[in-house]
Amino acid sequence: MKKPTTGIFKFTSCDGCQLSMLNLEDDILRLTELTEIAYFREGEDNPLVGHLDLAVIEGSISTESQKKKITDIRERSRHLITIGACATAGGVQALRNWADFDAFKKIVYPKPDYIDALPASTPVSEHVHVDYELWGCPIDTLELSEVLTSFLIGKRPGIPAHSLCMECKGKGIACVLVSREEPCLGPVTRSGCGVLCPSLNRACYGCFGPMEGANIETLSGIFERFGYSADECRMMLDKMNTYAFRKERTEKS
Amino acid sequence: MEKKTLRIDYLSRVEGEAGVYAEISADRVKVELRVFEAPRFFESFLRGRSHQDIVDFTARICGICPVAYQMSAVHSIEKIFGIEIDGRIRQLRRLFYAAEWIESHSLHVYLLQGPDFYGAGSAWENRAYLPFAKRGLAFKKLGNSLMAMIGARPVHPVSARVGGFYKTPRKKHLTALLSELERAYEQSLSAISWAAGLPFNSALSGDSAAWDFEYISLRHPNEYPMNEGRVVSNKGLDESMDSFAGITKEYQTEYSNTLHSNIQRDGEKTSYLVGPLARINLNSGLLPSEIINAMKESGVAIPIKNVEMGIIARSVEIAYAFHEAIRIIKGYEEAGPDAACDFKTRSGTATWITEAPRGMLIHHYTLDDGGHVENCVIIPPTAQNAAHIERSLHNYLRRNAEKSLESLEKGCEKIIRSYDPCISCSVHLVKM
Ligand code: SF4
Ligand code: SF4
Repeated sequence: MKKPTTGIFKFTSCDGCQLSMLNLEDDILRLTELTEIAYFREGEDNPLVGHLDLAVIEGSISTESQKKKITDIRERSRHLITIGACATAGGVQALRNWADFDAFKKIVYPKPDYIDALPASTPVSEHVHVDYELWGCPIDTLELSEVLTSFLIGKRPGIPAHSLCMECKGKGIACVLVSREEPCLGPVTRSGCGVLCPSLNRACYGCFGPMEGANIETLSGIFERFGYSADECRMMLDKMNTYAFRKERTEKS
Repeated sequence: MEKKTLRIDYLSRVEGEAGVYAEISADRVKVELRVFEAPRFFESFLRGRSHQDIVDFTARICGICPVAYQMSAVHSIEKIFGIEIDGRIRQLRRLFYAAEWIESHSLHVYLLQGPDFYGAGSAWENRAYLPFAKRGLAFKKLGNSLMAMIGARPVHPVSARVGGFYKTPRKKHLTALLSELERAYEQSLSAISWAAGLPFNSALSGDSAAWDFEYISLRHPNEYPMNEGRVVSNKGLDESMDSFAGITKEYQTEYSNTLHSNIQRDGEKTSYLVGPLARINLNSGLLPSEIINAMKESGVAIPIKNVEMGIIARSVEIAYAFHEAIRIIKGYEEAGPDAACDFKTRSGTATWITEAPRGMLIHHYTLDDGGHVENCVIIPPTAQNAAHIERSLHNYLRRNAEKSLESLEKGCEKIIRSYDPCISCSVHLVKM
């Protein structure tokens, strides 16, 4: 039987999620047994031709030409999945969506007119149909391995959808929010990282994005009682998943 | 000779998105390194953010060298706040950085540039190359494990903070890695002779012996540079970090999202090279004798000026990073609850430079009383190398103008790859 083909594509990103893919190390050789890597610009020279069984997308859509490129990839691919906060939620670069873009460009480039960039950085799902979204900045390699294998053998990935906070409690880590009164985003953040920050006595800063149905208002209320201003609370959510947190918040209210 | 137009739309085995455009005729060569990687405007949205946000956000500029961003950031901020870090923290930061050098260099040496010497288009296409790909993956994995032990994960680790770390690793956990590190160190020593014996193509070097270019790195009196030092060059440059920032000038071109960087002295502009070649050329005397012997036995002569031989410098630095990791772990003292010192925020301006795997990473911040960003400038290594890469391509194309377009394209790709450019990084620079 012919192996299914996979393509890996980069949009606006830092490469960290693709790198996490290479960090599968031992698994990567197993994966190349399950699939033929037909396109991976950062790893090999082959050009993109024909159809793909699976397209893996890193990075957000932030230029005019990327809109065309993502549509083309979607048309060629049976399944399309996004990996990481950039592709799934617009990434940290989506902070520009809430600012005066012309002023933003001028801060970085002396001649802003040369630059091809849209005023907003958006998730891939705003442009084409996405079959599965993997969260995290960066994604977790074990989750990635689960998702890739599932798609290649044709089953639904089994990624839990509960909050980081639940996973943290399950591990018996001292609560950063209650005992240290630190502004931890664990209660509204998706699990998946393996509870990294709280295990280092650090408050979660939400790099895995909002859990579905997250109760952001209640948590912000707690932070305000700790003495943080409304502005500071907003900045805590405006990070790698700013677009998704703001969306979750407005949809609730 | 007819005028030829060379176009590479999208370079492969390079981090990020860039291409090349060149016009070649008998008497003139025009070449542009076109970076179309989309900019992300970090310097803009950092304004108003807290000092910890600087550490977490700037890491996201590059998934391959997040520790470099975190280190240049914490040191700049600590300079503004007037913080003196504990000696144990200093050592742990060096270990963290060594782990990143291992991970980043192994990726480049074995998975990106290495296949070029075996006529392969990827590290997995050619069976004969597989043992090298596996060695690279094994080194990289070990670098990653070490990074994860200090920062909880290898990409965008979460432990670094102003004043130290959120939590420091236990000695017993680090020690458990020792035997594996020692084995890898032995292998990395013999990999130096492998790298030195690769078939380098003298046509690509653009006659490097005659090209008397300037290379720049940090220099520290008693250790190979990572987090501290003065800025020195082969042309007598010897500046503090602050004064060096004062003589670099960035300029924008129509064809690239990367701002190029030059140094300006006595009204004259010069392009320059940063990275492993510059570091090894300027600091080889500080390498341990075992590594110096391995270099001698392999016939590696300092200075190396052929950029394609950057793979030798990276291989030497992999060995050094393993050596350094072993040394630090053996002498490691746990900081316990003193993982970070107390401090008060205050306003001020500072520049700090650290040696990212690809060369000097310059951060410059102005903070307000509360430690929030008023202004910032970030100059990644690839932006500093961009003008140098173009000159290298120019030299090569001028000397080989009669060759076929196909062979020139291959040549340009190889030259660019040998710089280990990080295009995602390079699109972050700021207006002066
Ligand atoms: S999600 Fe984070 S780690 Fe992944 S590409 Fe974007 S910035 Fe990098
Ligand atoms: S604890 Fe939160 S911020 Fe930290 S790695 Fe996990 S999801 Fe990201």
